[in-house]
Amino acid sequence: MSKLSGAYYEIHHMEQLANEDQWVNRIHPLVKLVITVLYIMTVVSVHKYNLARILILGVYPIAMFILGEISFADSIRRVRLILPLVCIVGIFNPFFDRQVIAHIGNIAITTGMISMVTLILKGVYTVFATYILVATTTIEKICYAMRLVHIPGILVTQILLTYRYISVLLKEANTIMQAYLLRAPHQKGVQMKVWGSLVGQLLLRSIDRADNVYASMTLRGYHGEFCYARQKKCSGKDYAYLLLWVAVFGILRYII
Amino acid sequence: MSHIHIDIEHVSFGYETNQNVLNDITFTAHENESIGIIGANGMGKSTLLKLLVGLELPTKGSIYVEEIPVIREMLPKVREKIGYVFQDSESQLFMNTVKEDIAFAPRNYGLPEEEVQAHVQRAMERTHIQHLKDKSIYKLSGGEKKQVAIATILAMTPDIILMDEPTVGLDPQNRRNLIKILNEFNHLKLIASHDLDMVYDTCNRVILIADGQIAADGIPQKILTDKELLECNHLELPLRFQA
Repeated sequence: MSKLSGAYYEIHHMEQLANEDQWVNRIHPLVKLVITVLYIMTVVSVHKYNLARILILGVYPIAMFILGEISFADSIRRVRLILPLVCIVGIFNPFFDRQVIAHIGNIAITTGMISMVTLILKGVYTVFATYILVATTTIEKICYAMRLVHIPGILVTQILLTYRYISVLLKEANTIMQAYLLRAPHQKGVQMKVWGSLVGQLLLRSIDRADNVYASMTLRGYHGEFCYARQKKCSGKDYAYLLLWVAVFGILRYII
Repeated sequence: MSHIHIDIEHVSFGYETNQNVLNDITFTAHENESIGIIGANGMGKSTLLKLLVGLELPTKGSIYVEEIPVIREMLPKVREKIGYVFQDSESQLFMNTVKEDIAFAPRNYGLPEEEVQAHVQRAMERTHIQHLKDKSIYKLSGGEKKQVAIATILAMTPDIILMDEPTVGLDPQNRRNLIKILNEFNHLKLIASHDLDMVYDTCNRVILIADGQIAADGIPQKILTDKELLECNHLELPLRFQA
């Protein structure tokens, strides 16, 4: 399977995951969205030298991976392109922040090293928290929850349609690549001189497909505002789940 | 005049100036008619269907759907009356699951959720796809996609259905199922197709378009058996009439 078709199927696999009938999928999307935002805010608010606290805050993703039966290996594979970027954020800290605070054997531990690890962990936790949300909630439900908290419709529709068009773009790119490779069997990759026309074709074809999708939407009554399926109201279980995590975040952030 | 009808009056259209795809087309489609629009490639069959739902607007002439003019301001009203099934079903389906896609139109028309679900259920029953309800759109076969695309349209409870090459890419069994579904839909249908056997099985009127004009208009038994007329227009007799 080519990288493009692999990416295409990954998106659909994620959607399948989000559509599963697990307890975590059944929690109200607004509750999951609020918990994710609260978690990210809690993580981000931790001081850059407070490594112990940031380590403890790993409880949320670890608990969710275990309780929600979300494959950790799959999640690492899916976010593998983002994680290095997250790690780069703090990589220069040891060079600028050189105050030694401890020694392990002959190795001096500097505040820069601590802040680098803290920053990396913050990034990793944030990525995993978002992944957990996307893996347990469909994009429509996330957008529905965003509308419930009055995020402007135009912005939410942009997010939804961008997400949908990723599939369109990937599929068209895959078709073009397959057609190219079938007619250039002895080549490794795409020749430099044809990149321009391939990208141009991709643009034209994806615009064409996007036009058709949009026409199909307008023919079925779409008028600029997406109408989401009304979700059941938050139940007692949803509130309990929310309160539990708010309490856990509060304790981990301010008490322990 | 019956309640459900389309009037097309002296319609001309071209994608480029001075190069008309359709020239002075005039006809009326009535309730209970099933009209096959036939013609060679590039003769304007799909363009005609697009004009009827306002995806393109005529450069000359006028179109009325149940007395509503097909003009930009009236498009939402026109589109409530007409369901359009694309040639490429894949472009038509964009939600995550089959039931979500079918529910898209009823939700947009502001129906309460119980009614939305009732529409979805009825549309799935009519197209015999209840078993696909929770299936991802991306895992459907070509035939299933076509059935789902029709269900998405039926969920709108339209008065008129337009279909562009509905049998393209279908295997014989799915094609037969589609013909059955089409014959069960009693309102006005316009079907643009090269599949003349399917047109013979589903339509009670045929309009042949050639060089952007109506070359023939009549019952299938007359037009689809006229070998000379069909061959003049780069078509062939339906397989059942070929020796």
